[in-house]
Amino acid sequence: MRELGEWRIAAAVCARDLRIELRTREALLAMGFYALLVMVIFSFAFSSDASLTLRAGGGLLWVAFLFAALVALDRAFLREAGESSLVGLQIAPASRAAILAGKFAASYAIILGLEALLMPLFAVLFNTPRRADWGGIIITALLGTWALAANGTYFSAMCAHTRQRALLLPLLLLPVSIPAILAMVQATQVYLTGEGMANYWLQLLIGYDVIFTVLAWALADMVLDIE
Amino acid sequence: MASTSSLRSPSTWVFAATLGLLIVSLWWNLIGAPTEATMGTIQRIFYYHVPSAAAAWTALLLNAGASLWYLIRRSPAADALAVAGAEVGLAFLTIVLITGPIWARPVWGVWWVWDARLTLTLAMWVMYASYLILRQLTPPGSLQPRLAAALAVFFAADIPIDYMSIRWWRTQHPSPVLFGGPDSGLAPRMMTALLISMAAFLAVMGCLVWLRYRQEMARGRLAALRQRQLLLEES
Repeated sequence: MRELGEWRIAAAVCARDLRIELRTREALLAMGFYALLVMVIFSFAFSSDASLTLRAGGGLLWVAFLFAALVALDRAFLREAGESSLVGLQIAPASRAAILAGKFAASYAIILGLEALLMPLFAVLFNTPRRADWGGIIITALLGTWALAANGTYFSAMCAHTRQRALLLPLLLLPVSIPAILAMVQATQVYLTGEGMANYWLQLLIGYDVIFTVLAWALADMVLDIE
Repeated sequence: MASTSSLRSPSTWVFAATLGLLIVSLWWNLIGAPTEATMGTIQRIFYYHVPSAAAAWTALLLNAGASLWYLIRRSPAADALAVAGAEVGLAFLTIVLITGPIWARPVWGVWWVWDARLTLTLAMWVMYASYLILRQLTPPGSLQPRLAAALAVFFAADIPIDYMSIRWWRTQHPSPVLFGGPDSGLAPRMMTALLISMAAFLAVMGCLVWLRYRQEMARGRLAALRQRQLLLEES
Protein backbone atom coordinates (compact mmCIF):
# COMPACT_ATOMS: atom_id res chain seq x y z
CA MET A 1 0.00 0.00 0.00
CA ARG A 2 1.30 3.44 -0.85
CA GLU A 3 1.94 5.83 2.01
CA LEU A 4 0.00 9.02 1.76
CA GLY A 5 1.98 12.22 2.21
CA GLU A 6 1.19 14.58 5.07
CA TRP A 7 -0.22 17.21 2.77
CA ARG A 8 -2.41 14.74 0.92
CA ILE A 9 -3.90 13.59 4.23
CA ALA A 10 -4.53 17.18 5.30
CA ALA A 11 -6.11 17.91 1.91
CA ALA A 12 -8.30 14.80 2.18
CA VAL A 13 -9.57 15.75 5.65
CA CYS A 14 -10.21 19.29 4.49
CA ALA A 15 -12.02 18.17 1.32
CA ARG A 16 -14.18 15.79 3.33
CA ASP A 17 -15.18 18.48 5.83
CA LEU A 18 -15.94 20.95 3.06
CA ARG A 19 -18.00 18.36 1.18
CA ILE A 20 -20.08 17.64 4.29
CA GLU A 21 -20.57 21.35 4.79
CA LEU A 22 -21.58 21.98 1.19
CA ARG A 23 -24.09 19.13 1.28
CA THR A 24 -25.70 20.02 4.59
CA ARG A 25 -24.95 23.78 4.69
CA GLU A 26 -25.54 23.49 8.43
CA ALA A 27 -22.72 25.69 9.68
CA LEU A 28 -22.98 28.33 6.98
CA LEU A 29 -26.71 28.79 7.44
CA ALA A 30 -26.63 28.84 11.23
CA MET A 31 -23.54 31.04 11.39
CA GLY A 32 -24.66 33.42 8.69
CA PHE A 33 -28.00 33.98 10.33
CA TYR A 34 -26.38 34.34 13.71
CA ALA A 35 -23.87 36.94 12.52
CA LEU A 36 -26.62 38.83 10.72
CA LEU A 37 -28.71 38.89 13.90
CA VAL A 38 -25.78 40.19 15.92
CA MET A 39 -25.36 43.05 13.45
CA VAL A 40 -29.05 43.90 13.59
CA ILE A 41 -29.10 43.80 17.40
CA PHE A 42 -26.10 46.11 17.44
CA SER A 43 -27.96 48.64 15.38
CA PHE A 44 -30.76 48.57 17.99
CA ALA A 45 -28.40 48.62 20.97
CA PHE A 46 -26.46 51.62 19.73
CA SER A 47 -28.17 54.28 17.70
CA SER A 48 -27.33 53.24 14.19
CA ASP A 49 -26.02 56.00 12.01
CA ALA A 50 -22.87 56.72 10.07
CA SER A 51 -21.10 57.98 13.20
CA LEU A 52 -21.48 54.55 14.83
CA THR A 53 -19.45 53.02 12.02
CA LEU A 54 -16.79 55.66 12.47
CA ARG A 55 -16.58 55.12 16.22
CA ALA A 56 -16.98 51.37 16.54
CA GLY A 57 -17.24 49.79 13.08
CA GLY A 58 -14.21 47.52 13.53
CA GLY A 59 -15.46 46.17 16.83
CA LEU A 60 -18.95 45.66 15.53
CA LEU A 61 -17.83 43.73 12.48
CA TRP A 62 -15.51 41.49 14.46
CA VAL A 63 -17.86 40.70 17.30
CA ALA A 64 -20.35 39.44 14.73
CA PHE A 65 -17.67 37.39 12.93
CA LEU A 66 -16.28 36.10 16.22
CA PHE A 67 -19.60 34.68 17.36
CA ALA A 68 -20.13 33.10 13.97
CA ALA A 69 -16.61 31.64 13.99
CA LEU A 70 -17.29 30.06 17.38
CA VAL A 71 -20.28 28.23 15.91
CA ALA A 72 -18.19 26.99 12.97
CA LEU A 73 -15.29 25.88 15.15
CA ASP A 74 -17.57 24.04 17.51
CA ARG A 75 -19.05 22.20 14.56
CA ALA A 76 -15.59 21.19 13.30
CA PHE A 77 -15.35 18.43 15.88
CA LEU A 78 -19.07 18.03 16.52
CA ARG A 79 -19.12 16.44 13.07
CA GLU A 80 -16.87 13.70 14.45
CA ALA A 81 -19.01 13.01 17.48
CA GLY A 82 -21.35 10.50 15.84
CA GLU A 83 -20.50 6.91 14.95
CA SER A 84 -17.08 7.01 16.68
CA SER A 85 -15.76 8.98 13.75
CA LEU A 86 -13.22 10.74 15.99
CA VAL A 87 -11.71 7.40 16.95
CA GLY A 88 -11.62 6.51 13.26
CA LEU A 89 -9.65 9.65 12.50
CA GLN A 90 -7.26 8.99 15.36
CA ILE A 91 -6.41 5.45 14.36
CA ALA A 92 -5.95 6.42 10.71
CA PRO A 93 -2.31 6.07 9.60
CA ALA A 94 -1.78 9.80 9.58
CA SER A 95 0.03 12.22 11.83
CA ARG A 96 -2.14 14.20 14.22
CA ALA A 97 -0.69 17.42 12.87
CA ALA A 98 -1.90 16.55 9.36
CA ILE A 99 -5.43 15.83 10.60
CA LEU A 100 -5.48 19.06 12.57
CA ALA A 101 -4.15 20.97 9.54
CA GLY A 102 -6.96 19.56 7.38
CA LYS A 103 -9.55 20.50 9.98
CA PHE A 104 -8.04 23.95 10.21
CA ALA A 105 -8.10 24.49 6.44
CA ALA A 106 -11.78 23.52 6.26
CA SER A 107 -12.77 25.83 9.14
CA TYR A 108 -10.68 28.65 7.68
CA ALA A 109 -12.40 28.31 4.31
CA ILE A 110 -15.89 28.12 5.85
CA ILE A 111 -15.39 31.19 8.07
CA LEU A 112 -13.85 33.18 5.20
CA GLY A 113 -16.78 32.24 2.99
CA LEU A 114 -19.16 33.53 5.60
CA GLU A 115 -17.21 36.76 5.98
CA ALA A 116 -17.28 37.28 2.22
CA LEU A 117 -21.07 36.98 2.32
CA LEU A 118 -21.53 39.29 5.29
CA MET A 119 -19.07 42.07 4.53
CA PRO A 120 -21.14 43.67 1.73
CA LEU A 121 -24.16 43.44 4.01
CA PHE A 122 -22.23 45.19 6.76
CA ALA A 123 -21.18 47.93 4.33
CA VAL A 124 -24.80 48.55 3.36
CA LEU A 125 -26.40 48.28 6.82
CA PHE A 126 -23.90 50.53 8.54
CA ASN A 127 -23.20 52.98 5.72
CA THR A 128 -19.45 52.59 5.69
CA PRO A 129 -17.74 55.78 4.54
CA ARG A 130 -16.57 56.08 0.95
CA ARG A 131 -12.94 56.45 1.98
CA ALA A 132 -12.93 52.98 3.61
CA ASP A 133 -9.99 50.91 2.35
CA TRP A 134 -11.53 47.52 1.56
CA GLY A 135 -8.23 46.00 0.42
CA GLY A 136 -6.84 46.58 3.90
CA ILE A 137 -9.95 45.19 5.56
CA ILE A 138 -9.72 42.03 3.45
CA ILE A 139 -6.07 41.54 4.39
CA THR A 140 -6.98 42.03 8.06
CA ALA A 141 -9.78 39.48 7.70
CA LEU A 142 -7.47 36.93 6.05
CA LEU A 143 -4.88 37.29 8.83
CA GLY A 144 -7.35 37.60 11.70
CA THR A 145 -9.48 34.67 10.61
CA TRP A 146 -6.29 32.61 10.35
CA ALA A 147 -5.59 33.33 14.02
CA LEU A 148 -9.14 32.43 15.07
CA ALA A 149 -9.26 29.27 12.96
CA ALA A 150 -5.81 28.01 14.00
CA ASN A 151 -6.36 28.47 17.73
CA GLY A 152 -10.00 27.52 17.42
CA THR A 153 -9.29 24.20 15.70
CA TYR A 154 -6.76 23.34 18.36
CA PHE A 155 -9.09 24.18 21.24
CA SER A 156 -12.04 22.56 19.50
CA ALA A 157 -10.05 19.31 19.37
CA MET A 158 -9.18 19.78 23.02
CA CYS A 159 -12.82 20.33 23.96
CA ALA A 160 -13.96 17.31 21.95
CA HIS A 161 -12.71 15.17 24.85
CA THR A 162 -14.62 17.04 27.52
CA ARG A 163 -18.11 17.42 28.81
CA GLN A 164 -19.79 20.78 28.09
CA ARG A 165 -17.83 21.12 24.84
CA ALA A 166 -19.82 24.07 23.48
CA LEU A 167 -19.45 26.00 26.73
CA LEU A 168 -15.74 25.43 27.09
CA LEU A 169 -14.64 26.46 23.59
CA PRO A 170 -15.29 30.21 23.97
CA LEU A 171 -13.84 30.10 27.50
CA LEU A 172 -10.54 28.83 26.16
CA LEU A 173 -10.43 30.56 22.79
CA LEU A 174 -11.42 34.11 23.69
CA PRO A 175 -8.80 34.89 26.37
CA VAL A 176 -5.96 33.50 24.27
CA SER A 177 -7.19 35.46 21.25
CA ILE A 178 -7.20 38.85 23.00
CA PRO A 179 -4.10 40.19 21.18
CA ALA A 180 -5.44 38.98 17.82
CA ILE A 181 -8.91 40.43 18.44
CA LEU A 182 -7.40 43.74 19.53
CA ALA A 183 -5.26 43.86 16.39
CA MET A 184 -8.13 42.91 14.05
CA VAL A 185 -10.46 45.50 15.53
CA GLN A 186 -7.88 48.29 15.57
CA ALA A 187 -6.65 47.60 12.03
CA THR A 188 -10.20 47.40 10.67
CA GLN A 189 -11.04 50.64 12.44
CA VAL A 190 -8.04 52.34 10.80
CA TYR A 191 -9.06 51.08 7.34
CA LEU A 192 -12.70 52.07 7.85
CA THR A 193 -12.00 55.64 8.93
CA GLY A 194 -8.68 56.24 7.19
CA GLU A 195 -7.26 57.65 10.43
CA GLY A 196 -4.15 56.29 12.13
CA MET A 197 -1.67 53.58 11.19
CA ALA A 198 -2.54 49.92 10.71
CA ASN A 199 0.97 48.59 10.09
CA TYR A 200 1.75 47.76 13.71
CA TRP A 201 -1.48 45.87 14.10
CA LEU A 202 -0.94 43.87 10.91
CA GLN A 203 2.58 42.98 12.04
CA LEU A 204 1.20 41.88 15.39
CA LEU A 205 -1.37 39.69 13.61
CA ILE A 206 1.29 38.09 11.39
CA GLY A 207 3.51 37.39 14.41
CA TYR A 208 0.57 35.98 16.34
CA ASP A 209 -0.43 33.76 13.41
CA VAL A 210 3.09 32.36 13.05
CA ILE A 211 3.63 31.71 16.77
CA PHE A 212 0.31 29.99 17.39
CA THR A 213 0.27 28.01 14.17
CA VAL A 214 3.69 26.57 15.01
CA LEU A 215 2.62 25.91 18.60
CA ALA A 216 -0.59 24.14 17.56
CA TRP A 217 1.38 22.12 15.01
CA ALA A 218 3.98 21.10 17.57
CA LEU A 219 1.41 20.19 20.23
CA ALA A 220 -1.08 18.45 17.93
CA ASP A 221 -0.31 15.07 19.50
CA MET A 222 -1.43 16.39 22.87
CA VAL A 223 -5.01 17.12 21.93
CA LEU A 224 -5.69 14.41 19.35
CA ASP A 225 -4.68 11.11 20.82
CA ILE A 226 -6.64 8.15 22.03
CA GLU A 227 -6.18 6.87 25.53
CA MET B 1 7.19 6.63 59.09
CA ALA B 2 7.42 10.34 58.45
CA SER B 3 4.74 12.28 60.21
CA THR B 4 3.75 15.63 58.76
CA SER B 5 2.03 16.90 61.87
CA SER B 6 5.06 16.42 64.11
CA LEU B 7 6.93 19.50 65.36
CA ARG B 8 10.12 17.95 64.11
CA SER B 9 8.93 18.11 60.51
CA PRO B 10 10.74 20.93 58.68
CA SER B 11 7.52 22.14 57.03
CA THR B 12 6.06 23.03 60.43
CA TRP B 13 8.96 25.40 61.09
CA VAL B 14 8.63 26.94 57.63
CA PHE B 15 4.91 27.57 58.24
CA ALA B 16 5.65 29.11 61.65
CA ALA B 17 8.35 31.35 60.18
CA THR B 18 5.92 32.45 57.44
CA LEU B 19 3.33 33.35 60.04
CA GLY B 20 5.93 35.35 61.97
CA LEU B 21 6.96 37.17 58.80
CA LEU B 22 3.31 38.00 58.09
CA ILE B 23 2.88 39.54 61.55
CA VAL B 24 6.07 41.60 61.16
CA SER B 25 4.92 42.80 57.75
CA LEU B 26 1.51 43.71 59.17
CA TRP B 27 3.22 46.06 61.67
CA TRP B 28 5.39 47.58 58.94
CA ASN B 29 2.49 48.04 56.54
CA LEU B 30 0.13 49.67 59.03
CA ILE B 31 2.47 51.49 61.45
CA GLY B 32 6.12 51.23 60.40
CA ALA B 33 5.76 52.80 56.97
CA PRO B 34 5.07 56.57 56.85
CA THR B 35 1.72 57.82 55.51
CA GLU B 36 2.01 58.94 51.92
CA ALA B 37 1.85 62.74 51.46
CA THR B 38 -0.79 63.12 48.72
CA MET B 39 -2.75 59.85 48.74
CA GLY B 40 -2.92 59.40 52.50
CA THR B 41 -3.71 56.13 54.24
CA ILE B 42 -5.21 54.47 51.17
CA GLN B 43 -1.69 54.18 49.75
CA ARG B 44 -0.99 51.43 52.31
CA ILE B 45 -3.01 49.01 50.21
CA PHE B 46 0.03 49.12 47.95
CA TYR B 47 1.87 46.85 50.43
CA TYR B 48 -0.72 44.17 49.71
CA HIS B 49 -1.37 44.88 46.05
CA VAL B 50 2.20 44.68 44.74
CA PRO B 51 3.32 41.64 46.80
CA SER B 52 0.14 39.77 45.76
CA ALA B 53 0.96 40.49 42.14
CA ALA B 54 4.52 39.21 42.65
CA ALA B 55 3.20 36.06 44.35
CA ALA B 56 0.64 35.51 41.56
CA TRP B 57 3.25 35.86 38.82
CA THR B 58 5.64 33.51 40.60
CA ALA B 59 2.93 30.86 41.09
CA LEU B 60 1.83 31.14 37.46
CA LEU B 61 5.43 30.90 36.28
CA LEU B 62 5.64 27.69 38.31
CA ASN B 63 2.52 26.52 36.48
CA ALA B 64 4.09 27.30 33.08
CA GLY B 65 7.38 25.61 33.93
CA ALA B 66 5.69 22.55 35.42
CA SER B 67 3.35 22.25 32.41
CA LEU B 68 6.26 22.38 29.99
CA TRP B 69 8.05 19.78 32.09
CA TYR B 70 4.94 17.59 31.99
CA LEU B 71 4.80 17.79 28.19
CA ILE B 72 8.43 16.65 28.00
CA ARG B 73 8.53 14.04 30.77
CA ARG B 74 4.88 13.17 31.52
CA SER B 75 5.68 13.16 35.21
CA PRO B 76 2.73 13.20 37.65
CA ALA B 77 4.74 15.42 40.02
CA ALA B 78 4.95 18.11 37.34
CA ASP B 79 1.20 17.93 36.86
CA ALA B 80 0.60 18.27 40.60
CA LEU B 81 2.86 21.31 40.70
CA ALA B 82 1.01 22.80 37.71
CA VAL B 83 -2.36 22.48 39.46
CA ALA B 84 -0.96 23.96 42.67
CA GLY B 85 0.63 26.87 40.80
CA ALA B 86 -2.53 27.68 38.84
CA GLU B 87 -4.84 27.57 41.86
CA VAL B 88 -2.62 29.61 44.15
CA GLY B 89 -1.77 32.02 41.33
CA LEU B 90 -5.46 32.56 40.63
CA ALA B 91 -6.13 33.25 44.32
CA PHE B 92 -3.41 35.92 44.45
CA LEU B 93 -4.59 37.42 41.15
CA THR B 94 -8.02 37.76 42.76
CA ILE B 95 -6.44 39.74 45.63
CA VAL B 96 -4.69 41.97 43.07
CA LEU B 97 -7.93 42.59 41.21
CA ILE B 98 -9.83 43.42 44.42
CA THR B 99 -7.21 45.66 46.07
CA GLY B 100 -6.51 47.53 42.81
CA PRO B 101 -9.96 49.12 42.37
CA ILE B 102 -10.22 49.90 46.11
CA TRP B 103 -7.09 52.02 45.70
CA ALA B 104 -8.02 53.40 42.27
CA ARG B 105 -11.42 54.76 43.31
CA PRO B 106 -10.12 57.54 45.64
CA VAL B 107 -6.85 58.11 43.74
CA TRP B 108 -7.88 57.96 40.07
CA GLY B 109 -11.56 58.72 40.76
CA VAL B 110 -12.70 55.55 38.96
CA TRP B 111 -12.84 51.90 39.97
CA TRP B 112 -11.44 50.59 36.75
CA VAL B 113 -9.72 51.74 33.57
CA TRP B 114 -8.85 49.59 30.56
CA ASP B 115 -5.16 50.20 30.94
CA ALA B 116 -2.46 47.73 29.86
CA ARG B 117 -1.70 46.14 33.20
CA LEU B 118 -5.27 46.06 34.42
CA THR B 119 -6.50 44.53 31.20
CA LEU B 120 -3.70 41.97 31.20
CA THR B 121 -4.35 41.01 34.82
CA LEU B 122 -8.03 40.55 34.14
CA ALA B 123 -7.24 38.54 30.99
CA MET B 124 -4.87 36.32 33.00
CA TRP B 125 -7.50 35.83 35.66
CA VAL B 126 -9.97 34.66 32.99
CA MET B 127 -7.33 32.42 31.41
CA TYR B 128 -6.38 30.57 34.56
CA ALA B 129 -9.99 30.32 35.65
CA SER B 130 -10.74 28.63 32.31
CA TYR B 131 -7.68 26.41 32.87
CA LEU B 132 -9.18 25.17 36.13
CA ILE B 133 -12.60 24.77 34.49
CA LEU B 134 -11.00 22.65 31.75
CA ARG B 135 -9.45 20.43 34.41
CA GLN B 136 -12.83 20.12 36.07
CA LEU B 137 -14.61 19.15 32.86
CA THR B 138 -12.05 16.65 31.58
CA PRO B 139 -12.57 13.04 32.65
CA PRO B 140 -9.85 11.94 35.08
CA GLY B 141 -7.05 9.80 33.71
CA SER B 142 -4.04 10.50 31.58
CA LEU B 143 -6.01 12.83 29.31
CA GLN B 144 -6.63 15.50 31.96
CA PRO B 145 -3.03 16.49 32.75
CA ARG B 146 -2.11 16.35 29.06
CA LEU B 147 -4.85 18.72 27.90
CA ALA B 148 -4.19 21.02 30.86
CA ALA B 149 -0.46 21.16 30.14
CA ALA B 150 -1.07 21.88 26.45
CA LEU B 151 -3.40 24.71 27.43
CA ALA B 152 -0.99 26.16 29.99
CA VAL B 153 1.78 26.31 27.37
CA PHE B 154 -0.57 28.23 25.06
CA PHE B 155 -1.32 30.68 27.86
CA ALA B 156 2.36 31.13 28.68
CA ALA B 157 3.07 31.97 25.02
CA ASP B 158 0.11 34.33 24.91
CA ILE B 159 0.82 36.48 27.95
CA PRO B 160 3.89 38.39 26.61
CA ILE B 161 2.11 39.09 23.29
CA ASP B 162 -0.95 40.14 25.23
CA TYR B 163 1.05 42.59 27.31
CA MET B 164 2.77 44.09 24.27
CA SER B 165 -0.45 44.50 22.31
CA ILE B 166 -2.37 46.10 25.16
CA ARG B 167 0.52 48.47 25.85
CA TRP B 168 0.23 49.81 22.30
CA TRP B 169 -3.39 50.32 23.00
CA ARG B 170 -3.23 52.42 26.19
CA THR B 171 -1.46 52.78 29.53
CA GLN B 172 -2.35 54.54 32.76
CA HIS B 173 -1.08 52.29 35.58
CA PRO B 174 1.71 53.78 37.77
CA SER B 175 5.14 52.69 36.57
CA PRO B 176 7.07 50.10 38.58
CA VAL B 177 8.78 51.28 41.75
CA LEU B 178 11.26 48.41 41.77
CA PHE B 179 13.80 48.31 38.94
CA GLY B 180 11.95 51.21 37.31
CA GLY B 181 13.54 54.22 35.69
CA PRO B 182 15.81 56.70 37.52
CA ASP B 183 12.78 58.75 38.63
CA SER B 184 11.00 55.85 40.27
CA GLY B 185 11.57 54.91 43.87
CA LEU B 186 10.15 55.00 47.36
CA ALA B 187 10.95 56.54 50.71
CA PRO B 188 13.39 54.19 52.51
CA ARG B 189 10.90 53.13 55.19
CA MET B 190 8.24 52.50 52.54
CA MET B 191 10.72 50.36 50.66
CA THR B 192 11.45 48.35 53.81
CA ALA B 193 7.73 47.75 54.34
CA LEU B 194 7.29 46.73 50.72
CA LEU B 195 10.23 44.32 50.74
CA ILE B 196 9.13 42.66 54.01
CA SER B 197 5.59 42.36 52.70
CA MET B 198 6.92 40.94 49.45
CA ALA B 199 8.93 38.31 51.33
CA ALA B 200 5.91 37.43 53.50
CA PHE B 201 3.56 37.05 50.53
CA LEU B 202 6.05 34.98 48.55
CA ALA B 203 6.49 32.75 51.60
CA VAL B 204 2.72 32.32 51.96
CA MET B 205 2.53 31.51 48.26
CA GLY B 206 5.31 28.93 48.64
CA CYS B 207 3.57 27.28 51.62
CA LEU B 208 0.23 27.12 49.81
CA VAL B 209 1.77 25.68 46.64
CA TRP B 210 3.66 23.13 48.73
CA LEU B 211 0.53 22.05 50.62
CA ARG B 212 -1.55 21.85 47.46
CA TYR B 213 1.21 19.93 45.69
CA ARG B 214 1.39 17.37 48.49
CA GLN B 215 -2.39 17.04 48.49
CA GLU B 216 -2.47 16.47 44.74
CA MET B 217 0.29 13.84 44.94
CA ALA B 218 -1.59 12.07 47.74
CA ARG B 219 -4.76 12.14 45.66
CA GLY B 220 -2.90 10.53 42.77
CA ARG B 221 -1.50 7.80 45.02
CA LEU B 222 -4.93 7.16 46.50
CA ALA B 223 -6.49 6.81 43.05
CA ALA B 224 -3.77 4.35 42.03
CA LEU B 225 -4.29 2.31 45.19
CA ARG B 226 -8.05 2.20 44.64
CA GLN B 227 -7.52 1.00 41.11
CA ARG B 228 -5.19 -1.74 42.32
CA GLN B 229 -7.69 -2.80 44.95
CA LEU B 230 -10.42 -3.05 42.32
CA LEU B 231 -8.16 -5.16 40.10
CA LEU B 232 -7.30 -7.46 43.01
CA GLU B 233 -10.96 -7.88 43.92
CA GLU B 234 -11.82 -8.81 40.35
CA SER B 235 -9.11 -11.44 39.98
